Amino acid sequence: MDSSAAPERCITCSDEGLPMRVVQLPRADGIAVCSDESGVEHEVAVDLLEPVAVGEEILVHAGVAIAMACIPESARRPERMTA
Amino acid sequence: MKFVDEYRDAELGRAVAGEILATVEPGRHYKLMEVCGGHTHSIYRYGVDDLLPENVELVHGPGCPVCVIPMGRLDDAISLSHQPNVIFTCFGDMLRVPGSHGTLLDAKAEGADIRMVYSPLDALRMARENPDRDVIFFAIGFETTAPSTALTLKRAKAEGLTNFFCMCNHVMILPPLRALLESPDLRLDGFIGPGHVCTVVGARPFDFIPVDYNKPIVIAGFEPLDLLQAIQMILQQLKDGRCEVENQYARVVPTDGNLRALEVMSEVFALRPHFEWRGLGFISQSALKLSDAYADFDAELRYEVPGVRVADPKACQCGEVLKGVIKPWECKVFGSACTPEHAIGTCMVSPEGACAAYYNFGRFAREREVV
Repeated sequence: MDSSAAPERCITCSDEGLPMRVVQLPRADGIAVCSDESGVEHEVAVDLLEPVAVGEEILVHAGVAIAMACIPESARRPERMTA
Repeated sequence: MKFVDEYRDAELGRAVAGEILATVEPGRHYKLMEVCGGHTHSIYRYGVDDLLPENVELVHGPGCPVCVIPMGRLDDAISLSHQPNVIFTCFGDMLRVPGSHGTLLDAKAEGADIRMVYSPLDALRMARENPDRDVIFFAIGFETTAPSTALTLKRAKAEGLTNFFCMCNHVMILPPLRALLESPDLRLDGFIGPGHVCTVVGARPFDFIPVDYNKPIVIAGFEPLDLLQAIQMILQQLKDGRCEVENQYARVVPTDGNLRALEVMSEVFALRPHFEWRGLGFISQSALKLSDAYADFDAELRYEVPGVRVADPKACQCGEVLKGVIKPWECKVFGSACTPEHAIGTCMVSPEGACAAYYNFGRFAREREVV
């Protein structure tokens, strides 16, 4: 399951939802600092979510957070995938 | 990263593949459609299809916004980009989609000020920084992307910007699915539902698929184990004689979607009576335009555009690929006249297009060997 040779993805067609972690709470304009899988920091608009907290994980699409990744633990890992 | 690594575990992948094998009935052929271009990309990127039994066939759906944009809309976009004093902005893949007289990239080479953005908010920033220029954002995408455009326009209005405009091409996933289900060309057994669209719209709008058409649908995430498990869940429904909307991507997708996003969308957008989809034709109430409250930001009202419908190139079979009637490699020009470097059809432009996914991940070579 190696993905290293993957070409750049299209933001819209890939239905991109980049998992990011909130690093800095949003400023007055609704922009928060979040870090991606590689630790790179991005400015993300979080207006469409309930208030976020530092350390929370969110899904980001085209610079805007569209979902929280904080649904209860039991629902995070599909049952049949427990090692 | 949490929620990513555990869904790429090869050992678990083989275990779920074993469950799939145990679920299918020998002698029965299963045809499942992955609606979303992101799923198509993941399937070929991770070789998910290689883990499936031969009698489970995956068919690619119309969920790639770049692939379904008709040539006439590209011509309109290029026309806008040539307007004096305009900065035209779009996502990267749109630059290479062919209109009837070239691409936006060609227009850029001819002198149009066309800039790639990652977010509509980047285009808004350009409008702030260039008050003496008109900045147009070419908006495409399904319900996953529409909230970011809506939020941007809401901000533009709140800031009182008068030099920011949007050419709106946002489309919705449900109308083409219904059109496909009504199509006599295609027999499908079930659907892999578009995970991130559902973070916005929720799971409920997909109820019509089991209720009206008696087909199961499982909303799925984008990691390889997500897809394998979703396939297993669809096959299990078929085996049990059930037909439901199930949510494999429950760690992210709430049943009711993102209510704030839906609220902003309903304020900023209105339904178009009909919209042309490449390869699928006109589908009623399948796309969005700016609402009357946001008419001042509508690039098509600010500037005149040709608005001419343009037929697809004759050699191109994107429509049949988008409907799942043929496989990408069965298209007459696949891999010869049409490649990612010189795309004739839109399905070869976006990496999530079925043709580009096949081509980029070695399916081209494998399928040709089989032939």
